[in-house]
Amino acid sequence: MFDTGAGPGPRREPRLTAVPDAGAATPEALLHRTALGEDAAFAALYDLMAPRVYGLCVRVLRDPAQAEEVAQEVLVEVWRTATRFDEHRGSAGAWITTIAHRRAVDRVRSAQAAGDRERRAAASSTETEYDSVVEAATSRLEHRQVRRCLKTLTELQRQAVTLAYYGGHTYRQVATLLEAAVPTVKTRIRDGLAKLRDCLEVAR
Amino acid sequence: MSTEVHTLIGAWALDAVDADERRQVEEHLTECASCAQEAGELREAVWRLSDVTLAEPPAALRERVLAEVRRTRQEAPLVSEPEAAPKPARRVPRLRLPRLRLAVGAAALAAVAAFAGVFATWAVLRPEESPTADRMTAVLEAPDAEVAYQEADGGGRVTVVASESLDEAVVVVSDLAAVDDDRSYQVWLVDEAGQESAGVMDAGDSSATMWIDGLGDTDLIGVTEEPAGGSAAPTLPMVADVALPA
Repeated sequence: MFDTGAGPGPRREPRLTAVPDAGAATPEALLHRTALGEDAAFAALYDLMAPRVYGLCVRVLRDPAQAEEVAQEVLVEVWRTATRFDEHRGSAGAWITTIAHRRAVDRVRSAQAAGDRERRAAASSTETEYDSVVEAATSRLEHRQVRRCLKTLTELQRQAVTLAYYGGHTYRQVATLLEAAVPTVKTRIRDGLAKLRDCLEVAR
Repeated sequence: MSTEVHTLIGAWALDAVDADERRQVEEHLTECASCAQEAGELREAVWRLSDVTLAEPPAALRERVLAEVRRTRQEAPLVSEPEAAPKPARRVPRLRLPRLRLAVGAAALAAVAAFAGVFATWAVLRPEESPTADRMTAVLEAPDAEVAYQEADGGGRVTVVASESLDEAVVVVSDLAAVDDDRSYQVWLVDEAGQESAGVMDAGDSSATMWIDGLGDTDLIGVTEEPAGGSAAPTLPMVADVALPA
């Protein structure tokens, strides 16, 4: 049952350090080590995820200074709460990106509530929303996947999903922007995401 | 009402709900397993939308974040009570686990059967031609035998019966997540200073029983998934890390 031929090897190998292979540098592995308080693992995780966190904040908030501020909050929160990450409930990428998106959106909404934000979003056409997304895409494979998968959505599904995600709008706001019924938008968002999920899974 | 909440899962995954709705949805997800599954899957799709917005952050941000992190305390992990309703095994690489300290002697054998559900495994080992079978019996029947176990990440369980006086232990690995034929589970003895391999399970096997001679200062017994034949150092995270009774 066991390979007992190995015999007692030399004791005192380095304390549980991750094997330096590709697998060890996954966000999940780095997040686990971050949870153990390893500064170096967090620094590596920063290098891996900061462009995603910062980029998303810029996209939602538009203002680079605010985006930088929120990105800092997000990344410190990742460090602080890495101990609560549960990989059974999702990937490290989803966990970190969710924190970033929520924080960015919360910032947008509190600014809206305070009434100090112009309703320029309403002025921007839905085409612009999508075009600037596409524009941001480079030759990276992932970009192509997401772009291709977004194209499998119906026009209304795609507009609803991108306005909500990149624009930081609630589904009710999206309904207003698209001049569509609120229940319709709710349904389109859900169907659109299901399609996106299926497409991305196939693409992997 | 719950169907109403259910239709919000998509909007929730996009953070396109208000604070009230967010609370309602998240409450609903704790009560509805299939909804939680859908929500998780949508989240996994949604975050990929950020693939197209990657942007290099200002260099100064890195220093500021790392500096703030150095003076920021991490939150304590959420500890689930062993008696709590069955939840999927949580894997946070900290020594937090349900531990049983059981009485002695023959009771230990019964305990292994009861807690690890491995009586069949044990029975297979009984044939006298196995030279370690007697040693295992000795460990299980030792007056100071203590049992510790942990639900493994991905399913199954790792049970350890250790005898301090004998300096020996029996490790029962049962029904871990299935692995392909090019992967092996490997068992490690971990102490303050490091770890050593205690043995590599046959490739593709997810259950095994082993006898360990020479526990020394071992603090915990860990199991990792490795390429077939095992590795020189463990690939983290561990599938299980069973702390031995102090």
